[in-house]
Amino acid sequence: MNHWKIGSLFLVLALLLTAMVGCKSEPANDWERVQKAGKLVVGTSADYPPFEFMNDNDEFDGFDVKLMEEVGKQLGLEIVWQDIGFDGLIGALQTGKIDAVIAAMSATPERDEEVDFTQPYYIGKDAVLVAAGSGIVINQKEDLAGKIIGVQTGTIQDDWVTENLPDDEIHRYERAEQAILDLKSGRVDVVALDYFVASAFAGQGGVEVALETTFSSEHMSIAVPEGSQELQAQLDQAITNLQNSGFIEELGKQYLSGE
Amino acid sequence: MWREMLQALPYILGGIGYTLGVTVVALTVGLVIGVLLALLRVYGGRAAQNFAAGYVVLLRGFPSIIVLFIIYYMLAALIDLPPFLAGCVALGVCSSAYQAEIFRGALQSVSPGQMMAARALGMSHRQAIITVILPQAFRNAIAGWSNEAAIVVKDSSLVYVVGLPELLRRAQQVAARLYAPFLIFTVTAIIYFLLTFATNRLLGWLERKTRIPQMVAAR
Repeated sequence: MNHWKIGSLFLVLALLLTAMVGCKSEPANDWERVQKAGKLVVGTSADYPPFEFMNDNDEFDGFDVKLMEEVGKQLGLEIVWQDIGFDGLIGALQTGKIDAVIAAMSATPERDEEVDFTQPYYIGKDAVLVAAGSGIVINQKEDLAGKIIGVQTGTIQDDWVTENLPDDEIHRYERAEQAILDLKSGRVDVVALDYFVASAFAGQGGVEVALETTFSSEHMSIAVPEGSQELQAQLDQAITNLQNSGFIEELGKQYLSGE
Repeated sequence: MWREMLQALPYILGGIGYTLGVTVVALTVGLVIGVLLALLRVYGGRAAQNFAAGYVVLLRGFPSIIVLFIIYYMLAALIDLPPFLAGCVALGVCSSAYQAEIFRGALQSVSPGQMMAARALGMSHRQAIITVILPQAFRNAIAGWSNEAAIVVKDSSLVYVVGLPELLRRAQQVAARLYAPFLIFTVTAIIYFLLTFATNRLLGWLERKTRIPQMVAAR
């Protein structure tokens, strides 16, 4: 095949794809559509206990899951869960495959450009884990300099280390548990992740929390498609109600406190 | 830990349905497109040959996961495929590029004398391809095809990105909950091994069953 032929093939393909992405599904009042359907399709990544995981009855469970189901009750909507890898959630939301995302996701400025976020339902904190008996002492964030650090891709911890530490000291993993494995085997010195996820790992042994901190205060929010104002307002209202009624605090005690 | 693992095992095994479903449908999609492409490549006119060659070059160059993203997410505005179909079509289209080459090799390995003999008996070109060449080519293709089948069994794990709870994704969920990735993934690897082993045994049986005794003896 000639080069120009391959070239033109690619060109046609590229044009086709741009045309298709151009006509992305319109968020023509998501709230009305959702209300009519009586259900809200919510994406999460069920590999992140205690926020979202599959429990031993093979049901979606966790802090986020229980919160969202209560939000659904408030809004009179059935919650339909979709388990999608964390990296794929924003894309699924943008293309209308799901109506909302709850996945311990922080409303970072970068994400906010792509989708819209509700008010935070939970303000989290971060932790730094070291291997048990490693003798590594981390008293403040600055002590991370010069350490090989593991993070989960796309998380708020990833953002912080990317901003503040040289790239060759950062190892990025698709899932938190892979970072923990490398911490145990010594490929990384420390792992930065959400505090409660970290303490759950610490409870399993082999690793310990060296530092409790906030990298850039995790504001966990529910994500909705860009421009879904009505849906966002309804979710905001439900979150406010659940905060005022003390439901979210109770849920935090049940899922996040201690071990 | 073992007890929890055993309790979770039925859930993990439940993912096999998706794994096998996607594999079988994707392989079938790939087979149909692949055979057509191979026929175009070997017997088609110049334009058809170029088309088939271009298709193979292009799709072999794309990672399956990106083809899946394109079909499920980017084409959503045109055709809103459910996750299972999107997974089958994406993996099938990717597989078709490899299968096209398997069948092209298989078609070309049938000796030219076969075509001449068929034509001499008064068969049309098309008749000769369908009744003489293809049946032999399919037999030749089985060995190479069983490679592709084993690959698609494992590639089927990619469909988790569109939300299908297949074998590997379920294993990931359980590994995260039990904090036992080594144990769970070892068990999962054994399950995948058994699946590919069974697939290849089945194809091996098919290969023996369809063998033409005289042709083997002649070698």
